[in-house]
Formats: sequence, structure tokens, C-alpha cells
Amino acid sequence: MSAHPSTDQHPATTPASGTPLLEVTDLAVEFRTPDGAVRAVDGLSYRVEAGRTLAIVGESGSGKSVSSLAVMGLLPDNARVTRGSVRLAGTDLLALSRKEHRARCGEQVAMVFQDALAALNPVHPVGYQLTEALRARRGLSRGDARKRAVELLDLVKVPNAKARIKEYPHQFSGGMRQRVMIASALAMDPDVLIADEPTTALDVTVQAQVLRLLAEIQAERQMGLVLITHDLGVVAGVADDVTVMYAGRAVEQAPVVPVYTTPAHPYTRALLRSIPSAAGTGRLPVIPGRPPSPAAMPSGCPFHPRCDAVRDVCRTEVPPLATPAPGRTSACHFAADIMAGREPAAADADAVGPTDADPAAVEHRDGHAMAADQATVPTLDDQDTGGSDD
Amino acid sequence: MGRYILRRVAQAVGMLFLVMFVLHLLTTLAIQLNGNPALAFFGDKIPSPAQVAAVEQRYGLDDPCYDQPGNPCLGPFVERLGQYAQGDFGTNLRGREVTDIVASAAPNTLRLFVMVTITWLVLGMVLGSVAARWRGSPSDHGIRLTSVLIDALPVFVLLLVYKEIVTVPLSTWSEETFGENSWPPYWFKPSFDAEHPWATVAVPGILLGLAGSAAFIRLVRASQLESYTGDHVRTARSKGLSEGRVVVHHVVRNSSIPVVTAVGLTFAEALSGAVITEGIMNIYGMGGVLWDAVQSSDVGLVLGIVTILTAVTVVVMIVVDIAYAALDPRIRYE
Repeated sequence: MSAHPSTDQHPATTPASGTPLLEVTDLAVEFRTPDGAVRAVDGLSYRVEAGRTLAIVGESGSGKSVSSLAVMGLLPDNARVTRGSVRLAGTDLLALSRKEHRARCGEQVAMVFQDALAALNPVHPVGYQLTEALRARRGLSRGDARKRAVELLDLVKVPNAKARIKEYPHQFSGGMRQRVMIASALAMDPDVLIADEPTTALDVTVQAQVLRLLAEIQAERQMGLVLITHDLGVVAGVADDVTVMYAGRAVEQAPVVPVYTTPAHPYTRALLRSIPSAAGTGRLPVIPGRPPSPAAMPSGCPFHPRCDAVRDVCRTEVPPLATPAPGRTSACHFAADIMAGREPAAADADAVGPTDADPAAVEHRDGHAMAADQATVPTLDDQDTGGSDD
Repeated sequence: MGRYILRRVAQAVGMLFLVMFVLHLLTTLAIQLNGNPALAFFGDKIPSPAQVAAVEQRYGLDDPCYDQPGNPCLGPFVERLGQYAQGDFGTNLRGREVTDIVASAAPNTLRLFVMVTITWLVLGMVLGSVAARWRGSPSDHGIRLTSVLIDALPVFVLLLVYKEIVTVPLSTWSEETFGENSWPPYWFKPSFDAEHPWATVAVPGILLGLAGSAAFIRLVRASQLESYTGDHVRTARSKGLSEGRVVVHHVVRNSSIPVVTAVGLTFAEALSGAVITEGIMNIYGMGGVLWDAVQSSDVGLVLGIVTILTAVTVVVMIVVDIAYAALDPRIRYE
């Protein structure tokens, strides 16, 4: 398109923050399986503004990738959106025909996939793949496309771009390949970039480089960035907002700093504790159990079988989305307590109501492997910031 | 790429040499165990020793090693290689040059192969692509059922039915409709006509191709299905490319690699089908000539023809390998 990639690219929309570029509302996705419909995403909502980064964090199977495939209209044949809307610059993508939806992909919203070796076509040179869409959709000439491909590789800091556009994906190292993947998503200058675990297949040092690159490009172009990851550790330096997903639902949504200092959901708290730290001594706490299969959801709160602060109400009632603080949501019956670092009172007014609160809670905690330090904090005692103590 | 081709050609030459040597050993052993093929020259008559000696000398069978079972007869082999190198493939028992026979028979077989390959590619690509793109649809099921039916119908049944039942009414009908000197009557002639080789080879070729197309249809379908679920196809879609473009450049293009290989591999197999087809449809081709040569113990002709067929197959394999490398960049650098 233009002569120099790094300076004169301007975002298509106004950088005024507060206007959501991408707004997902109450999205639900179901998979048809031999055992009946299985809900992979259930009522997910989020918004991404220009120049901001939203991190979607969750274990595999939590629905984070599926939800972004739904945004891109790339769900597999056996999956369908059953509810909700995906508004991109005001237009509901899900209400469009497949062709119209497809036409907005690449142009307005683009996606970086996880495993670049599989996600790039092995039989086409990378230069071809970088500018394929530009040539097919904007009618770029072969020469212009080559120039643009070199620009794009320069942009993602692949050295010796001129020579490398003729090479094939398998001739690139993992990190360089992921950069090519990013460059190909940037080819049409999208307003929103969805990066699905862009660094998972890479080793740690390269991970950091690629993340930094993504952050730089995002800041420079005032793009909205959705960063999907299972690693809460990589989020801190990059994201502005965090959505934590569990079993297809957003269990906690908040700006990045409070998520780290005062998590409002026991799952977030447990995730934070299981990040290894350099100063760490002893055993790394793990979250016991496995995420539930969407085909066999537990009753009540989906996280209750693994929760270290579980109460009776959790087993029977799905927690509503609470707002423990302005700008934050948490799908926990005891969001305010968790956020404040308190142990939730066992017998709430709305619970079934066992009388002896404290002994029951203590007894319960003993059964859990990771109750460790937090469990001994007496109820209502101090306000120290819960999960950030290691 | 140049080095790759060079290496493949060197391998091919070695393979050709090996095939010729094995062939030589087998025929030598056959002569040693079965008796002198020179006798076949005389048919029912009983020749004098001098006549036999003259014939043996003429066809290069006079070496004493042919009377010693187990002797590999390297002398005559080297001698024959020298002759082949000079383009001299000897004569058949009636004194006709092998090269001359091949020159008149090979074009018809090649015509047959061209028709067969076109049929494979067209049927395989079209039906296989349709079945893959609309997987699970009625057309997919129909195509898969058809491919099983084709498999159940051997080529000789297909050809006999065609020849005995279809050709005569069709050619009579087309003669009446289009006139005697138009093309259609030739297409449906029940036997080969040297004056109109393409027209009379077309339908038998298509039928032979049809008989072999079932495996092709399934191969194309399977390899495209794999592509459709591939990550790179998802990436192509995420760029907003039209579905047609995704199919052509990312699905068909990627799944063409196994298909091209299969064309090469089935080429050798088509040769046996050619023998049957040429026999039933009276096509004067390599298969028919080879069949006759084997029946009349015409050693020189058999060796000559098999050598030439081997050379052709080896060349096809090289072409396939090069096409393969051109289609799949990962191959070149291994």
C-alpha cells in the first residue's frame, strides 16, 4: 500500500478510546456431537477498544479459541452460534451472510494462529501468502505485492526480507515463522487483531520477543488486540484488560492490574498462584482436578469441584455475574469476599444454611491440596491482598 | 533442483540396467531349462542341425552358455547391451526389426494411455472434489457408491459388454444420423481402425480409464478432505479469500501432490489393462505385440519390448518425481 510501513500507517478508526471496535455480547457456541449438543461457549461478552489489548485467559477447552473462531466465522461444520452478537465497528457479523462476513475478515479483523507451521501453507512461498489477499481482493500487481511483502516482513523484523519472501514456511525457524504469520494477518491493516496463543509453540526467549513485537505493532497502529493465552504469566506486561474463561464462561473480567493484585474469582486466584516465580521455594501449587468436559457440566458453579473456597450454595446454584467493583465482573457467589482476600462466610443468607460456619469451612479446606496458606487466614481478619503474596 | 533431477536420472539409469539384467537372467534360465527357442522358428518342421545352427547364429543364441543351466551368460548380455546402445534392438523371428515393430505399435498404446490418464484425471478430480467439498451430501454418497460399483466391474467385462452390445447399434445409429464419413461412427467402431487411430482408441481408452478411476476418485476425495480440515485452509479463509479461491489455491493445490504420485504409480498398472483392452478391441499396440511374442517364444522381441517399456516407465517415474518436487517444496531440500 504505502511506501514505509512503520510511520505512515494510521488506524482506520479514530483512536478515541471508549468506542469499542469489537463487541461480543452473550455469545454461545454449541457443538453437535454423537452424544448431543455440547455447549463450548456460554454467554461470553467482551469488548475491545482501539489501542487496547484484551487478554482472554483459560485452560484448553475453556472456549477461548472457539469464541474467536466464531468471531471470524471459521467455526467447524459441526459447531454453530446459538446466541449472541459479534459487533465489529457497529455491524453484527453473525447477522451477515457468510460471504459478507468473510469479506470483513482480513480487512477489519484478522487472526494470528497458534502453530504457524501448520497454519501457513507449505507449498506456497511466504511472500505469496503474505500478499495473497491483497492481490486477490485489492488487485495489487505482482511487483507491488512483492514490495508490500518485503515491507511486511520488515515490519515484523524478519531480517533479509527481500530474499526471504521467496522461501517456504519450512525454511523458517519457529519464531521467524510466527512473525510471518503475524505479518500475514497485518497485510490488510486490520482494525482488530485476534492472536490465538501466538507464542505457545515457541521457546521462552522467543516468546518474549514475539509478544513484544505484537505489543509494539499494536501500539503503533492503535489496533484492538485480543490475545488468547493459557498463560496468565505472559499477560501482565502486554494486556490492558483480562477476561478469564472457565468452561465456556467468562468467570472474571477486569483491568489487568486488579486481576493480579485482587483477583475476584477463586479460579483466577488459583491460576495466579500456579505461576512459577524465580524466588519460589517448595512445591508449586496446582489446581486439583481437571476442567469439566462440556458434555458433563457439574451442577451449580462449573468450578466448584476444584474450588478451594467452595460452599454449599456453589454446588446447586450457578453464580450470577457479580460486580464486586466498578469495571469488574466475577462469576462467583462470593466475589466480594474473594476480592477482599477474605474467606467467604460459609452460611450465607441465601444458602441452605448450616449453622456452624467456621468449623465447616475449615474442615472443607483440609480436603484440598492447595488450601495451603490462604486457608489459614481467619475470616474478616485482615484486608491483605489475597493472591499476590507469592 | 538441478542436483535433484540429476540424482533422480542417475538412479533411473541404474534401475533400467538392473531391470535389463534381471530380465536377461530370467530369459536365459528359461532357454536353458526349456530348450532352444530357435526351434520355434521352424514350427512343425524338423530342421537339420545345420539349419538350427544358422538360426541360432542369426538370433544370437549360439553361445554355448545357453546349454549350461545356471550359467548367467554374461557374454551375450554385454553383447546385447552394446547393440542396444547403438540403437539395434534386433529382429523378431520373422526378421522384422524390433524398433520397427515398436514404432508402429507404441503410438497406439500411447494414445490409449493418453485417453486413460485424461479419464482418470477428469473423473478423479471432478468427482473427488465434489464429494470432498460437499461431504456427507447425497452427491458425496452417490459418488462413493459409484466408485464401489466401478470397482466391482472389471475392465474386460466393461469392454465385452461395450463391444458386443453397445457398439453395433451405436455406430449404425450414428452413421445414419451423422453420415458415413463423419467422426461419430468411428468413435463407436467395435474394433480398431489404423486409418483413424485417435477416434477408434478414444472409447476403449475412456472405458479402461473408467475402470481404474474408482481408486482415483477416492484418493482425491480423501486427500482433499484432509486439506479442508487443515490449519492452512483456515488461515486462508481468515484472510477473507473467497471460498472458490481457497478451494483452488489451498485445497486442490495441496492435495494434488498425492494425486500426481498416484498417476505415475498406476501408469505401470495400466499396462496390464492395455494388454486386455488391446486384445478385446483389436488395437495394434505394445500389449498385443508383447502377448504374441511371449506366446511364440520370440525372445529377442520380448527382451526388446520389455526394455523399451521399462525405459518408458522409468522416464514417467522421473517426470512424476520432478512434478512432485515442483508441487511440494519440502521435497527438494531433503
